[in-house]
Amino acid sequence: MLRPYGIRYDMTPTYFDPPRLTADRPLLTAWGLRKTYGRVTAVSGVDLEVYPGETLGIVGESGSGKSTVLRMLNLEEPANAGDYRLNLAAYAGENLLGLDRYRRRELRVTQIGIVYQQPHMGLRMRVSSGGNVAERLIMAGERSFATLRTAARDSLAESEFPLDRLDDPPRLLSGGMQQRVQLAKAIAMRPALLLLDEPTTGLDVSIQALVLDTLLRLRRERRIATVVVSHDLGVIRTLADRVLVMRGGQVVEHGLADQVLDDPQHPYTQQLVHAKL
Amino acid sequence: MAYVAARGGEQAIAAAEELHTTLNGPLSAVLVQSIERHLPYLVDRVMGEGSLYAPDLAALALAQTGGDLYEAVLLLRAYRSTQPRITYALPVRQSELRTVRRISAAFKDIPGGQILGPSLDYSHRLLRLDVLDDALSIEDRKEEPPALSIERCSMLNAPLPAVADWQRENGLLAPLPDRDPCDPSALPDVTREPISFPAPRAHRLQSLARADTGGVLALGYASMRGYGMSHPTVNELRLGYAEVTLRHPVTGVAFSAGRVRVSQAEIVDTGAGAPGDAPLRLGFTATIGWNEVKTIAGAMLDLEMSAPNPHPAHQEEFVLYHTEPVESSGFCIHYKLPHYVTFGSALDNLRKAAKTGETL
Amino acid sequence: MTLADLAHPRQDYSYGFLDAFARRELRRRILKAIAIPGYQVPYASRELPIARGWGTGGLQATLSVVGPQDVVKVIDQGADDSVNAANLRRFIARMTGVETTTDTTKATIIQSRHRIPEERMDKGQLLVLQVPDPEPLRHVQPDSSQAREMHADADYAQMWLSLYEQLVRFGRFMQGASYPVIVNGRYLMSPSPIPRWDTPALHQSAHLTILSAGREKRLYAVPPYTDVRPIEFSDVFFQVEDQAGRVCTLTGAGQKYMDELPQPSGESRFRISDTGYVEKLLKMAQGESTKIGPTYYDDAGQFWMPGVIK
Repeated sequence: MLRPYGIRYDMTPTYFDPPRLTADRPLLTAWGLRKTYGRVTAVSGVDLEVYPGETLGIVGESGSGKSTVLRMLNLEEPANAGDYRLNLAAYAGENLLGLDRYRRRELRVTQIGIVYQQPHMGLRMRVSSGGNVAERLIMAGERSFATLRTAARDSLAESEFPLDRLDDPPRLLSGGMQQRVQLAKAIAMRPALLLLDEPTTGLDVSIQALVLDTLLRLRRERRIATVVVSHDLGVIRTLADRVLVMRGGQVVEHGLADQVLDDPQHPYTQQLVHAKL
Repeated sequence: MAYVAARGGEQAIAAAEELHTTLNGPLSAVLVQSIERHLPYLVDRVMGEGSLYAPDLAALALAQTGGDLYEAVLLLRAYRSTQPRITYALPVRQSELRTVRRISAAFKDIPGGQILGPSLDYSHRLLRLDVLDDALSIEDRKEEPPALSIERCSMLNAPLPAVADWQRENGLLAPLPDRDPCDPSALPDVTREPISFPAPRAHRLQSLARADTGGVLALGYASMRGYGMSHPTVNELRLGYAEVTLRHPVTGVAFSAGRVRVSQAEIVDTGAGAPGDAPLRLGFTATIGWNEVKTIAGAMLDLEMSAPNPHPAHQEEFVLYHTEPVESSGFCIHYKLPHYVTFGSALDNLRKAAKTGETL
Repeated sequence: MTLADLAHPRQDYSYGFLDAFARRELRRRILKAIAIPGYQVPYASRELPIARGWGTGGLQATLSVVGPQDVVKVIDQGADDSVNAANLRRFIARMTGVETTTDTTKATIIQSRHRIPEERMDKGQLLVLQVPDPEPLRHVQPDSSQAREMHADADYAQMWLSLYEQLVRFGRFMQGASYPVIVNGRYLMSPSPIPRWDTPALHQSAHLTILSAGREKRLYAVPPYTDVRPIEFSDVFFQVEDQAGRVCTLTGAGQKYMDELPQPSGESRFRISDTGYVEKLLKMAQGESTKIGPTYYDDAGQFWMPGVIK
């Protein structure tokens, strides 16, 4: 189990679901998210909510705007309009899209973890795997080498990374291991929100299954609110509690994962589900 | 003066300078005049990179350094540092240049016409070995052919419109911004304030004007060979004389302080831009002295630097920092200086390092 | 009437070489640098009759503050007599007529490349360090605009990440000279390529230090009595070069920064790098009168201010 390393966080880790009533405020609330590139509208008016411990899946084909939504939630892509809140004491009542860059950086370091499809977007490929994870804690102000070392090791163990390769840089690792380093880095600060962008796309099917197992275990053990974006309905079915279906920058259908995937209502969702079968 | 001569160093410097002088022969006013008169392109290059229009001083710098270009440019720049800037000359419009050579590759004929002017472009590059046969008779020769004088250039007095102006009228190029006539003293001056990036356009053009010809050519050539984003055509290349017009500080009357040799190149990019933009984009470089290679390559780099997401070697910071002749050559030769202390410090670490994995 | 008639008679070079406007601008930038310790102030670095990269930054700082009462010392690698130091000293004297010295305690201005003298500098003295690369973030962020933003945000995590990597790979910090420091708890600063041995001398020093990079056109300062802390972990510390067991062949002294001189036998001999200090030790040994100031390190290798080197 990870120690909190003396850094502030708002969610107490626990292995028991608390009574529903104490957790019934969504951690993440976003509405009216909008993003345009020149004359192209990538995302137009997306609303979403994620509860603590819940995993929200976003599906859609490439170009549907799902990854843009994720990058907006990670505050790396400025939105043109919208309102985005996290139910955390330090940011209560604030639209996070309006944070200055100092507080944005602080929020991203301490409260949001992300795993990208392309490992080089999330990792320094020439820095050791342990160093990649430790960087998160360094950014949060940790200056003890022993603590950094232990935290990196613990977090990598948590994401089931082979510890004998702790000091190898990601460029020498396989795709699956690279994703585990990203995951370890993402959860190193025990964030409130975890964002997964096509986390297993491009991996061998058997490796994919192992990484998904790890993600499921983490979901069970840590109650991190998670948003997972994928065009792979199998991944969404495995991980997500609820699903948003996006097309042309808009949400066309949403509901419980089983409900949307087994009984799609919107013609586009039907097409998507059938294509998969 | 209580000047302490520490042992060793100073005698060594004196001896080294003396040896250099002995090898390169004595300096004389005749030698300087001869360089100024017979090597105008070399003098121009030193003046351009030295960013000081002073043919006699540039010739002196060349004579004093035995023709070491980087040293000569440094001499001129260092001299420049001692001179206050008294005033700024009035802007020169390119249509007002006294043009001696003007080429457009974009059109067969242009308003005002193509002017081949003084050029070796179409000469056979054959060494004139017969000249060497005259070597013995040089001493006897009294009459030298006259150097290029402004009166000998036939087109000098006809103002020539810019090709770009015609293109602007026809909507091929974006119109010039509608601005009041600029106050030259209000322009950012790269010799008076350090450059920072993204650079003001004035700083970029000033830096290109002072840039190392070889450096600009190397980066520009990389663009031409295909690392670049643009599809260049030489819109207009001009060599000529510009009038240096000053305003009298008291009466405000404008008067000419003389003429200086200048060159400039305009390159157009025919690669389609964003929809709604003008079809052509213009790149520009001008410098004092006649230097065709630098202005053409510089104008291409100007285009590259303005393109969205240029190649790393064509980013503004990369181009302008790395083509600075005095800084790049100075830093290159500084590696000859002793580095005992830094080397010893590194050795202290290397001897103790536990070499575990691969090196970084 | 011609322009030549109107112009002043030619006067080859003015006091301090630079024109008065340039000197005034430099003094203003220096004041700004002192006001914001460790912050890199851009300035319009002029070309000097010394090649770029050979101390033109330090020289401009010296030339812009030097006055007739000053006594100037110039060293390169600790030595007063190296060709480069001699050349710079010669130039400063030629352009200002100022008095020069090799004695650290007698100088009012010390311009140096790569060293701080062994004798402690005192109140009222000025140390001018020549800087090849002012940007301590260069190897983690080559783009200067982005590095500037990182300074604005005090976003220095990558520096500690490289310390982490060095410990993991080599078991120690591998930065040799130019060991990065945090000034006044705020700006990350390159102390110029002085050895780590000299870095603690900048901390809470009585003298003013100006660091100037002519080629890169940035200058910065450490005002007197300012905190200067090398970057390190709370449990793994910055270390200076080990001089233990090294004995100067000229003076027999130890625990000063030494030049290593390889011998044909395969061994090494050592010589104290600070030649001004050596000169005084030799005078003393010959019974001549000389005054040696207190040094930064005592004969046991202890730094004079406790708690600075952990």
